[in-house]
Amino acid sequence: MHSTSLQNIWLVARREYLERVRAKSFLIMTILIPVLMGSLVLGTALINRSLGSASHLAIMTDDAQFAANLQTEMTSSDGSKPKLDVYSPSVPGVRAQLDAQLKAKGGTLDGYLVVTPSSPAEPRGAYEWVPKSKADVITKARIEDGIRGALTRERLAGSGMGAAEVTALLAPIHLKTDSSGGGSGTAFGSAYGMFFLMYFVILFYGMNVARSIIEEKTSRVFEVLLATMKSSDMLAGKVIGVGAVGLTQVGIWMLLALAAVEFGTKMIGSNIHILPSPGQGALFVVFFLLGYLLYSSIAAALGAMTNSEQELQQMQIFLMLPLISCTVVIFNVVTNPDGIIAKVFSFIPFTTPLIMYTRVIVGKPGALAVGGSIVEMAVTIAIVLWFASRIYRVGILMYGKKPNLPEILRWLRYS
Amino acid sequence: MPIVELHNIRKVYDTKVAVEGLSLSIEPGRMFGLLGPNGSGKTSSIRMMIGMTMPDSGSVSLFDQPFSRSALHRVGYLPEERGLYKKMKVLDQLIFLGRLHGLSEQTARTRALAWCERIEITEAIGKKTEELSKGMQQKIQFIAALLHDPELIIMDEPMSGLDPVNAALLQQTLIDLRREGKAVLFSTHRMDQVEKMCDSIALISRGKLLLSGSMREVKGGYPRNRLQVAFTGSDSFIHHPAVAEARVHDGVADITLHDASAAQQILADALSHGTVITRFEVLEPTIEEIFIETVGGQRDA
Repeated sequence: MHSTSLQNIWLVARREYLERVRAKSFLIMTILIPVLMGSLVLGTALINRSLGSASHLAIMTDDAQFAANLQTEMTSSDGSKPKLDVYSPSVPGVRAQLDAQLKAKGGTLDGYLVVTPSSPAEPRGAYEWVPKSKADVITKARIEDGIRGALTRERLAGSGMGAAEVTALLAPIHLKTDSSGGGSGTAFGSAYGMFFLMYFVILFYGMNVARSIIEEKTSRVFEVLLATMKSSDMLAGKVIGVGAVGLTQVGIWMLLALAAVEFGTKMIGSNIHILPSPGQGALFVVFFLLGYLLYSSIAAALGAMTNSEQELQQMQIFLMLPLISCTVVIFNVVTNPDGIIAKVFSFIPFTTPLIMYTRVIVGKPGALAVGGSIVEMAVTIAIVLWFASRIYRVGILMYGKKPNLPEILRWLRYS
Repeated sequence: MPIVELHNIRKVYDTKVAVEGLSLSIEPGRMFGLLGPNGSGKTSSIRMMIGMTMPDSGSVSLFDQPFSRSALHRVGYLPEERGLYKKMKVLDQLIFLGRLHGLSEQTARTRALAWCERIEITEAIGKKTEELSKGMQQKIQFIAALLHDPELIIMDEPMSGLDPVNAALLQQTLIDLRREGKAVLFSTHRMDQVEKMCDSIALISRGKLLLSGSMREVKGGYPRNRLQVAFTGSDSFIHHPAVAEARVHDGVADITLHDASAAQQILADALSHGTVITRFEVLEPTIEEIFIETVGGQRDA
């Protein structure tokens, strides 16, 4: 490559980089995204805790033993028992009183259970659950489990087993998960987190390239630049400059995350496993760069074809469709990282960065598969870049109406 | 040694012929006016001169060499539509564009500041482009084209959007540059500027060259058949058989002759009728008239 070419690419990349990094929006994004992600994780955790954590229930039954058994069965994993008020159904007006408690503002009652004693028609008895919130399906499931457990306890005790024996038999089993990168729950969380981070940075920085092209096109800066440099140098400089901004941002986030873990470990005293390992971090950068190159090449062609942000927004769907298809299959991939869907999508170049990277975190795709997908992406990028640079070269000098497909095909042949 | 030479170039976009068989050359120290109606192929021709697009056939030479991109550091270009980064500071922008033309950062900075001084726009240096008026942006664009001291200066409509004071300032700057031996090519619709500034012109319409040459040659090709006569007394001379058309107002007669050689006969005729002549002038055709006549004639054809 000619040395002035390299010099020009460097100058364009440097300008793109400095203008973007200096912009206020870069600072805001760099801070806002981790804050949003953090509060999302925290919020989800809080909601999960509050859901199904019903701690004050009432039961209408004359069978005190059943009530005690139910309370034992509903003991949470952390050892806390729900508060269980027992009312006798024979007291007149008790249901109305309980309904009033449910509706009362600031009332702590989460719901009540009406037990109808066993009869020949219903040998196990009939149960009616009246919750405060119908959406609280988790408490409902816990009560169902609790009733089944209480009935089992009753039968076992009835067949002559000692209370201690029954408790030992019905004690919950702790299922241990073997995972080298921390608990499996945190691996899932980290896989989803990294998936959406990757999704976001690839789309955002890809679109940034397109926007930057439109800006130069509408402000006619191209005309000035083209009077001294080749369009391919302009494109290369732009892609490198914007990509470097993306890398900077990802780098800052990774450092922030490291610092947060360091701080958290000191505060809590135990190791937190939410971060990908250093190898996974390096692969994040590799797959981000590959994904960014692929999508920014397409975005460059889209940007060169259109004349305004509005027109670009209509074309944006071409960029987003492959990414959206990833979000459709991501659940399947996370739960079954070496299944057929995960394998197929991790080798479609447009979905490779997202799906193969997710497999790297939650599964064991093997070095050959990862390396193969990287080579395959590199080849795809070279092909897409060839088409994109030709469309770019002609498109940036075309103003007015949006070109149709035959026109774009003709552009590819222009010298 | 011509600075630019276009030889028989042709460019076709899809179905439209933008430029057809165009040849022209510009010498150093010359002010060259590229004239033509809208959509006549001026911008297409300029783009081929600086390698933004390649001609389908024909050849382009810069500085007596077949076109090569390395020659572009010696060319300054001001596009028809303003091309500056809206959110970038003026000085940063000028340095960036200067460096793209091969200047060092320090040289670019020094020259940018000197130019801002020279064309009286120092107050814009620290501002962003979007904060500037249209005329100020135009001056910055003007500097961007000249920062690297180009030997060939190409300006597409350089005076558009400028008030008369600033237009005169830039006009004078261009004249100074020509005096330093630079070749200046500019395209314009403003015929009065062409008349005042250009040494040579080329008139193109529908992608074809209609006429070209030095101002003298071009005007020499048209008859000097117009008279302006300031007089008192009898106006009987306007009925002379050689007069094709005449209009009189405020003691001044504007006369068009059938035959340019009859001018002296008109003067003699007027004097013999006792008319007092205070001014008698044979006018050469203006570029505007030539433009309208040539382009209009082609349109009729």
